[in-house]
Amino acid sequence: MEIDNFFGPIDIAISGIKAQGKQLELISSNVANARTVDDGKGVPYRRLEAALKYDDEIGGVEVDKIETDMSDFLRIYDPGNPQADKDGYIAMPNVNLPQEMINLNIATRVYQVNVAVLKRYQRMVDNTLELLR
Amino acid sequence: MSKTDSIIELIDVGIKAESLRQKAIANNVANLQTPGYRRIDVKFEEVLAKSLDSSDSVNLSEIEPEVYQPKKTPVKPNGNDVNLETEVGAMIKNSLRHKTFIRLLSKRYKQMEMAINVGR
Repeated sequence: MEIDNFFGPIDIAISGIKAQGKQLELISSNVANARTVDDGKGVPYRRLEAALKYDDEIGGVEVDKIETDMSDFLRIYDPGNPQADKDGYIAMPNVNLPQEMINLNIATRVYQVNVAVLKRYQRMVDNTLELLR
Repeated sequence: MSKTDSIIELIDVGIKAESLRQKAIANNVANLQTPGYRRIDVKFEEVLAKSLDSSDSVNLSEIEPEVYQPKKTPVKPNGNDVNLETEVGAMIKNSLRHKTFIRLLSKRYKQMEMAINVGR
């Protein structure tokens, strides 16, 4: 990402907004698939998480890659379910809804803060331009 | 070093480039969901800097802002690479630059007015 000095804060705030937008997208995918038993390959859905990274210099944040949570599936006892194994258990996605709600709150707040930084910087430049009146 | 004495002319090409860029941004936002659309941007500062650096005399009215496809943002599955956040950022930067040019222009006119009013 290219940064010019004067508009650096704008680019950085926008990169933060983008990254949190991606985070929100993944949270909504996790929540929507909280009970998806079959992901198309016969195994339950695995929760996704965005890995963020930064450049060495001041250059904002970037979504590096989207990682899959490889923790164990939740096994619940449901003998009536046609997909249950011979012991009556069925594997559920490793999505933990309370955890997703907390992540949602964090992502929303960080998004808001980035917007606030953007607005504030815009006002600062506006104030500088007032000197030119 | 500037090769032109005409500040107003310089501001004029700047404002023209800025309104062209605003058009490009509006076009990008309008095509936010159009399959296969690639975002467009305006190359002006580079063109201006190059012609001011060159040894030939500069005719500002000949500096044409260039519309191009940067093709730098990630492409979505439908072949579209417009990102709303990027466009909002570009718009904020564009309007701040625009404001700067307008202020400089009005300052220049005020200076002229001051000169006219000398001795009144």
